[in-house]
Amino acid sequence: MMKISLSLQLHKRFILSLLLLAVFIWSLTSIHWNSELFHAGGIPTILQIVEGLIKPNFEPSILLAGLESAWTTLAYAVAGMSLAIVYAFIVGVLASGTLTTRKFSRIISKVFFRGILGFTRSIHELIWAWLFVAAVGLSPYAAILALAIPYGGILGRIFADMLNDVPGEPIIAIKAAGSSRLQMLFYGYLPLVWADFISYTMYRFECAIRSSAIMSFVGLGGLGFQIQLALADLKYDAVWTFVFFLIALVICVDGWSHLVRKGLTDHKRKKGLGSGWISVLFATLLIAGSWIYITIGENARLFELLSEKNMEYAKTFFGGLLGINQDDSAFLDVESWVHALKLTFETLEMSIMAIGFATIVAFLTVIPAARNIANGNLTLKKNWYNLPLFGFIRLLYIFSRSVPELVWAMMIIFIFKPGLLPGALALALHNFGILGKLWAEVVEDMDPRPIRNLAAAGASRIEIFFYGILPIVLPRFLTYILYRWEVIMRTTIVVGFVGAGGLGMDFKLAMSYFDYTQITLLLLCYMILVIIADFASETTRKAVK
Amino acid sequence: MMSKTMIEAKNITKHFERKIALSSLSFSIKQGELVALIGPSGAGKTTLLNSIAGLVPLRSGQLLLDSLPLEDYKRGKKFAKKIGVIRQQFDLIGPLAVIHNVLAGKLSEWGLIKSLFSLLIPQEKELALTALERVGLRDKAYEITTTLSGGEQQRVAMARLMVQNPEIILADEPVASLDPARADDVLAMLTKIVLEEKQTLIASLHSVEYARKYFTRIISLKNGEIFFDLPTEKVSDELLKELYQLKEQD
Repeated sequence: MMKISLSLQLHKRFILSLLLLAVFIWSLTSIHWNSELFHAGGIPTILQIVEGLIKPNFEPSILLAGLESAWTTLAYAVAGMSLAIVYAFIVGVLASGTLTTRKFSRIISKVFFRGILGFTRSIHELIWAWLFVAAVGLSPYAAILALAIPYGGILGRIFADMLNDVPGEPIIAIKAAGSSRLQMLFYGYLPLVWADFISYTMYRFECAIRSSAIMSFVGLGGLGFQIQLALADLKYDAVWTFVFFLIALVICVDGWSHLVRKGLTDHKRKKGLGSGWISVLFATLLIAGSWIYITIGENARLFELLSEKNMEYAKTFFGGLLGINQDDSAFLDVESWVHALKLTFETLEMSIMAIGFATIVAFLTVIPAARNIANGNLTLKKNWYNLPLFGFIRLLYIFSRSVPELVWAMMIIFIFKPGLLPGALALALHNFGILGKLWAEVVEDMDPRPIRNLAAAGASRIEIFFYGILPIVLPRFLTYILYRWEVIMRTTIVVGFVGAGGLGMDFKLAMSYFDYTQITLLLLCYMILVIIADFASETTRKAVK
Repeated sequence: MMSKTMIEAKNITKHFERKIALSSLSFSIKQGELVALIGPSGAGKTTLLNSIAGLVPLRSGQLLLDSLPLEDYKRGKKFAKKIGVIRQQFDLIGPLAVIHNVLAGKLSEWGLIKSLFSLLIPQEKELALTALERVGLRDKAYEITTTLSGGEQQRVAMARLMVQNPEIILADEPVASLDPARADDVLAMLTKIVLEEKQTLIASLHSVEYARKYFTRIISLKNGEIFFDLPTEKVSDELLKELYQLKEQD
């Protein structure tokens, strides 16, 4: 008995990996694998899309439109993020419980404010956008608020976690010096976490750019709108031009955020105008510019949102969601529930397939994509093809993650018939790049000494991988898989919008038919999924530790 | 003139779950004394210091600070003027500039607005700079604290204590992570300041050598009890040997 439990303990990670693999294979059985999956014209369409990729449209009018919509996308993202930071700061501090002295009130404030943060981030930004557009019409504020609410939820939660994880000694010392709670916050907690918080916010800003781009799919301007129009006209060459604009935007933001993070980790203080202050100045200009553009350029007024007409719309809409003045509410109907739960289950399968595909591709590519392996530092071996391969895979990763799932889905839907598979593929296409990048960074951050030791002892590359690298990185790899799975779960509903199956497809239909109570029902199912995903990944993560 | 009693402990007891951390300790410490607290790991040195600092509640017994019960002090200015704490170098806010860490000793006297404003333009700058001058770090006032060495950080913590200016200083292993030269440096500076300011010092130490060199009185703890409490010159090698003896050898 002891022996079995001991070997279970020893092979815990291995067993868990097998279990996750089995779940993935099971999810594949939900698809009928035959030629029916493709459209009749699927193959020619692929060729056309690839042709467009090789020869994108660089006509001046297209470039100009691309530049303009890129700015709109950036402005919405910046404005949304600036609101999100304010929201995250206030609610995050309250949710961390650092301001409360008594145990009881601390628990109450933690549960309450963490609940708010949890709710706001569990709903995808595109759904918020849809709700806002349905409630207040097509205003830039619909996009900005739709970005600010879920991003604020995510940032706020991370902020609260950071505040809770602050090392105890400096805080006790400040407390012992007789400072008040607020003084402790400003002299103790905030200086200790602000560097990490800014790093994380910059990383989220990159995600916000992508989210802002897809806001177009509910009718708000920006790069996504142009992509959507071009796709509708079957102008694949123009589609790629706009996609390249988006990629360029993401790369710029990524580069900036890399600079900021690097500046924060190097503690040396330089005299004069350091890169930190330039970034602050740049950020201030960007925020001011975005808000000026939105309020003056797009002539959007915040108080217009609160006009009587809009209030009336909002009242009808949210009242409808709650089933007020409706005879048969879908969320009180057993049959609707059965149907919705079936879709929920399908969505779950889709998310598992998606993370499975993404994991396979990332797993096959991650080793050559790590810088310390490519330049031979880790394994003490170097081949001529290492560096070009490294560059190629990294480029592939950037390409994969810069294009939002929704855009991938819109293209794939031209090739595959609607169903779970195209949705899963779209999600996988976007996520393998993210997963690969995160994993490659894990390998790059590894302690090189044990690996070099193995290499010096004459182990081959495959042996080094299984004896040295994999055991060290596996827990972190698993953590990232689970973390991405959570994100994918939230996004499943979005790829459904364009016909990629699951809850999203029905959600869009219900929206088009103004079937409010059906929307509520689907949102409930979606939240069940998100909670399941949170719970499952949290449990698995603990098991891996 | 008889100096007044600063700390008086009457049968103080502290438990962690079922383990006894402090078992009915009694002692009194007069103003101006330099007391070293020694004993094996887990003997209760840190717990005793935390109890005096009001950071952990006692199970029973009474602690009098300047003849007032500890419970009568509310957190805040009055208490901060009575007791100050210094630990290993980990208790500074790393990402802040040195001067802000030093001025944190003033937080009990400052309101919120003044303390926030001070993060932009340091307030009562001269006070902080004088304190830094005394620990020899005046030129490092505007550097980020984490960039300083361990010994320098400990001196920043001392400058903060000078700004706070409490009557009693509790030092919990103040030199634990420093090399011998830095440790000597820090202890010499700490005891010199305490004598000049007529403060009272209680420091827990892992090294008997430092206790003998810099302190006037040694209290030794073993298993949560006072093993001996003697003026430094009366502490014999035999007593110390017995103090650090492992259980198996009893």
